[in-house]
Amino acid sequence: MARYGMALDYKNCINCKACEVACKEENGVELGAEKHRIWVGGNNPEGAWPLLDMASASFLPSQCQQCDDAPCQEVCPTHATYYDENGVVRVDADKCILCSYCMNACPYDARYVDERTMTVDKCTFCSDTRLARGETTTACQNTCPTKVRTFGDLDDPESEISELLRTRDHFSLKAHLGTKPKLFYLT
Amino acid sequence: MNFIKKIIPMKDFTLKSLMTFEKTPLNILMFILTIGLLGAFGWGVIEYLIHSHHAYNVTREHPWGLLIAMYIFFVVSSTGLCIVGSLGDVFGFKDYMAMSKRAILGSIVTILAGFAVIAFEIGHPVRMLIYNVLSPGLTSAIWWMGTLYGIYLTFMIIEFIFLMRNDMKNARIFGLTGLLVGLAAHSNLGGVFGFLNARTISNGVFYPTYFILTAFITGIYLTYLMYGFRYKMNFPEEIKKGLIGLAKIQTLLLAILMFFETWKMMTGIYGGMPGRADVVEHILHSGGFVYGEVLCGMLIPFVVMLTTKWKSINLYVYASFIGMIGIFFMRYDLVHDTQVKPLQMMKLTEYQLPPKWIEYFPSAAEFAIGFGAIGIFFMLYYFGQKMFDLDGGDH
Amino acid sequence: MCYNTHMNIIETSRRKFLQGSVSLCIYATSALSSPWQTTKTSNKKTTDTPYLCNMCRNKCAGYARVENGLITKLNPNHNFPKSRNMLCPKGNAGIQAIYDEDRLKYPLIRIGNRGDGQYKRATWDEAYEYIKEKLVKIIDEQKDNRSTIAYCNGEGFNKDEYIKFFGSKLGSANFLDEGSICLNTKLGATQLTIGDVGEMDVAGSDYMIISGANRYESLITPDSVDMIHSKQKLVVLDPRCTVTAIKADEYLPLYPGTDLAFCLSMMYIAFKEELYDKKYVNEQFDDFEKLKAHILSQKYTPEWAESKTHIPSQKIEKITREFFAASNPLYYLGRRSVWSQNDFQLRRAMVLINALAGSVNRKGGIIFGQPIKLNDEEINEPLYNNAEGRFDLDGIVYGSQKGGSWLNFREKVVSKTAPYPVKAMFIRKHNLMQNMPNIAKTKKMLEMMDLVVVLDTMPSDTAMMADVILPECTYLEREDMVVSFNRLEPSLALRNQVIESLYESRSMQDILKGLGKKLSVPLFHVSAKYDEDLQDSIKEDGLHKAFVEGGYDMAELYGYNTTQRNKRLITKQFGKEVYNSLKEKGVWYPYMDEQKELFNDFYEYYPPEKRFYTIDKKYRVNAYLKKLEKAGFDAMPTWHKYYDFNLHEDEFRVITGRYVTTTQSATANNVMLKDFEKENYLWINNNNAKRLGIKTGDSVVVMSSVSSIVIKANPTNKIAPNVLWIPHGFGIDSQEMTNAYAKGASDNMIIEDKFEKIYGCATMHETNVTLRKL
Ligand code: SF4
Ligand code: SF4
Ligand code: SF4
Repeated sequence: MARYGMALDYKNCINCKACEVACKEENGVELGAEKHRIWVGGNNPEGAWPLLDMASASFLPSQCQQCDDAPCQEVCPTHATYYDENGVVRVDADKCILCSYCMNACPYDARYVDERTMTVDKCTFCSDTRLARGETTTACQNTCPTKVRTFGDLDDPESEISELLRTRDHFSLKAHLGTKPKLFYLT
Repeated sequence: MNFIKKIIPMKDFTLKSLMTFEKTPLNILMFILTIGLLGAFGWGVIEYLIHSHHAYNVTREHPWGLLIAMYIFFVVSSTGLCIVGSLGDVFGFKDYMAMSKRAILGSIVTILAGFAVIAFEIGHPVRMLIYNVLSPGLTSAIWWMGTLYGIYLTFMIIEFIFLMRNDMKNARIFGLTGLLVGLAAHSNLGGVFGFLNARTISNGVFYPTYFILTAFITGIYLTYLMYGFRYKMNFPEEIKKGLIGLAKIQTLLLAILMFFETWKMMTGIYGGMPGRADVVEHILHSGGFVYGEVLCGMLIPFVVMLTTKWKSINLYVYASFIGMIGIFFMRYDLVHDTQVKPLQMMKLTEYQLPPKWIEYFPSAAEFAIGFGAIGIFFMLYYFGQKMFDLDGGDH
Repeated sequence: MCYNTHMNIIETSRRKFLQGSVSLCIYATSALSSPWQTTKTSNKKTTDTPYLCNMCRNKCAGYARVENGLITKLNPNHNFPKSRNMLCPKGNAGIQAIYDEDRLKYPLIRIGNRGDGQYKRATWDEAYEYIKEKLVKIIDEQKDNRSTIAYCNGEGFNKDEYIKFFGSKLGSANFLDEGSICLNTKLGATQLTIGDVGEMDVAGSDYMIISGANRYESLITPDSVDMIHSKQKLVVLDPRCTVTAIKADEYLPLYPGTDLAFCLSMMYIAFKEELYDKKYVNEQFDDFEKLKAHILSQKYTPEWAESKTHIPSQKIEKITREFFAASNPLYYLGRRSVWSQNDFQLRRAMVLINALAGSVNRKGGIIFGQPIKLNDEEINEPLYNNAEGRFDLDGIVYGSQKGGSWLNFREKVVSKTAPYPVKAMFIRKHNLMQNMPNIAKTKKMLEMMDLVVVLDTMPSDTAMMADVILPECTYLEREDMVVSFNRLEPSLALRNQVIESLYESRSMQDILKGLGKKLSVPLFHVSAKYDEDLQDSIKEDGLHKAFVEGGYDMAELYGYNTTQRNKRLITKQFGKEVYNSLKEKGVWYPYMDEQKELFNDFYEYYPPEKRFYTIDKKYRVNAYLKKLEKAGFDAMPTWHKYYDFNLHEDEFRVITGRYVTTTQSATANNVMLKDFEKENYLWINNNNAKRLGIKTGDSVVVMSSVSSIVIKANPTNKIAPNVLWIPHGFGIDSQEMTNAYAKGASDNMIIEDKFEKIYGCATMHETNVTLRKL
């Protein structure tokens, strides 16, 4: 029983895509550009060479924000989307009817259709793979060259992530929507 | 057969009489059209069965497409016809008594057509039936909508049976309940969009109310079309009276709708809020909205009805046809506009311009199933006419 | 999509083969990989095998998870100092390299013309037999001049062993590797200037300047990681706004090939303002005054440099002052291909700048460190009196005695100006048909051969030119010999075997063993025919003894398998514990027990006080290289007019580089990586593009003096005007590489084959082209 979250030191992200590949390999995510649980968005610098505005260029790693108050869960007609015992938002493929409501409701574009089961899939915090066999961290965190991510239990005041959130400024994506994400972007 | 007839009075018919019709050019055209649409529907379904969702052009960013729009189109029609049908038997407006049967039959067959479409849009319809009961998601507008529409259909059928038995008391009871459930279901469908707080353009109270209003409008358009076809433009007096009344109501409703839309757009654009104002602007510049929704759906019928001193019923039938085209665009745009603004605005690969607007155009299979379902509507309506006596009002 | 195109038997015609494979893919499902290409790991615990990655040059350590004989996941190994507990996207996608449907599966013998892809499946013995017959004939014809057989290797692992086989045992002098199309000038410049190639201590540096090396994209190594985690100021010079530039504290856009002007100006300012480390200079420099006088007299002022580089002079002054004021400044020496004629002097200027700041043999500078020395496995080397020496360094001032100069070699072979004909080539994991400028010339060279043998895992463009293709297994299917890494925090690492090799592929060791067994005696007899010394010893000792004692048994090293050899070598030199650590953790270094987690799965390896920042070593900084002067070149870094970036409005300079998801052409067919970049795009300055009416995604024709390519355009503000960037590793011509074939275009099609004369390295950034919209 934990409440898992992830803190992202996103300014350290170099857009290397290791996390995306690791996630696909670990969780058996299909190939194809649309089929990703995790991604990195990039902005081009503005201006004209050589006067480029480097501050406007940035990389933002993203994935399911593991909302505490998840719109995707709220709109699911069959409770296929649920919170597991660790607060992770999961999809029960057996119950998913593929109405795609959650895909529309998620403010973060975090969901996609798995073509094999024809159900909606998303980041699971590796709950049914790594965490299920007792490992303590996710595939994306583990492989990241610059260790952008810190994964851990938000309810454990001793955890590294709790310590980070206590000591560093951070923000959440689209916080005004009241989704209460469990992904925190460190500034 | 006799057993069924005991429950619901039917005309005498044989298989042969069901299959024969007067060979007027219009009838033949309708026959060919219906067969063509049914064929398209069948082809679309086969495409879907072979390729599953690959047969559709829906994507991660635009998961809802033409089929959702057509589903809405049909269920809005159903609710609308239900409202029109209720005017007579539920609310006791004499002029509309004669229309109840036809309208209620129409509402039943349109929703069946709608269900036929949604069955091929939802990935697992059977699973839906099971888990809707076993594991109901009470916070989900889709759950409520689906469940209420199920109940609604049941009530409509019961109402229809009482109507056919000319048991107006029971018809009124079930008609009223059915209407209320239908309105609830329908505003829930609006709620499906209204709940999407990530989609600023759709979020809020607008769609649930707008859906009821446009349902009524759709119902009137369809009533005109059904009667226009039924009487080949030679309307008996009692029907004429009802239709004229409906035209007046329609004009009023269209005026209200135009104000609705105007305020939606004005408030949307005001303040330039990103994700709302830009989307409104985008909508205002789209042909679907300007020509489809505004011109066909509202302005043309409105002007035609207002400027002809409630006399040109025949013209109103044509105006209603144009109006239905507009209604289609309202449904399509509603679905598309909700999703048109990307939620993820950064580039994911180098060779990509940052996503600005989500593109979507239906695939052949989507067209086939979505529009093919109109064929289902035609077919069911045709058989309904053949099997039941829909004329004759309160006796 | 069809993932089942097996290259099992290529019948008489390609069309027939392709048809066969099309029908196959309807019925056949592969037992090896799911049609979805990825396999979800299970919730069961497994014992994972430590291995070393081979997807790029860095060789990160990882643990491979195997379930039911299938590799389902590769994870980073936190024990290895050299990989800092990470795997990059390529490392993660290694699984796809193993289970690539297009892999070479069986030995193949050519039955059609070179390049048209018609091969027949053969047994290993048939393949060896074929090679033997050809070789005996060739060597006989060449009267036992073993150097008529050239051999090359593009993979770091097993290279020395490969050289032992073909160089020492077979007796050829003509070995070539990637160095002369890579960074030999950097290695040479460092070696010649401070007496050692050293290692750059990025983590220890508080101020770092990088010229062009794109350390966040082209190759992810500990340097990349350290750049993020150290609190240093990072300055990046590049004509292209790369990810490294974006992440830098300061990005200085400049014109290609003008970095040397920047360096010269830094030295000028350092001398003028006496910013350099006087104590260090006094103690270590030779010819300091000569250098100072030269730089000052040439007037390499910041204003002068601005006119060459486009970097504002005040910026150059500011950066220079900051650099010399920093306590551990480092001018990063680069880690990529050679750019232009001035490359050797550019790298030397960088070394000299570091030396002027005293950043040599100390924390944060170029360190010498103390690599762990591994004992050599000794073998008995035969002497071939008729084997001639190498010729590819003729006309090159220094050059690498080991890997030679590819372009000079090829030129001499193709123009028939080599002192003797080269008749055969053994090519291991070296995609010659993609990796060096002017592909047409490489093709010509290979067509001149009587025998081309390719050892590879993939049916690369080069494999399609071979007479015999020998399928090597991939890095996860074999154990390799233990390797020693690094100088600051040295360690040993071992690539353990994760799964049995697939199909009929074999490890290099097994291939060489088989070849050795087949070739030794017949080739010995050829020598006996021409070699008088050998004839004498046969007379004296008899055939058998002369063979054995003369070292003619080419398979000598392979009496034991790699596992046995490793065990012997490691336990003998380091003891059993080290061996066990290498088997169980894949890694050994002396302070493993003290390894501690600093934060978030990021570790400290050597305790700081145990790192080899400074060692006791006598060395001099050579500011002036006499040998160069004698050969008619600059003894000190000097600017020449023809280095100027000065193009006509319609002319463009081509530069190259890599995506983070590609390792040259080796990853071209990897389905996972292909998902990110299916093809390459030409970067062109957006204003240039506008003038030419070119929009994103338009196809353009790029023409140089050697050839032309068609490629899609990416107009961007991130590149200098009149400069084109072509990402390398695309435009594969081999139809057997189904994911890569004809996707994008190959830079080397149009890059002119020029090379600089100090190390004989191909200069990749000196080709001017024109272009038009298709
Ligand atoms: S980010 Fe989206 S998918 Fe994830 S929990 Fe929130 S709403 Fe659901
Ligand atoms: S936590 Fe696991 S499932 Fe989620 S993005 Fe990371 S690797 Fe993928
Ligand atoms: S692995 Fe780390 S650095 Fe690379 S893209 Fe992902 S978050 Fe960014």
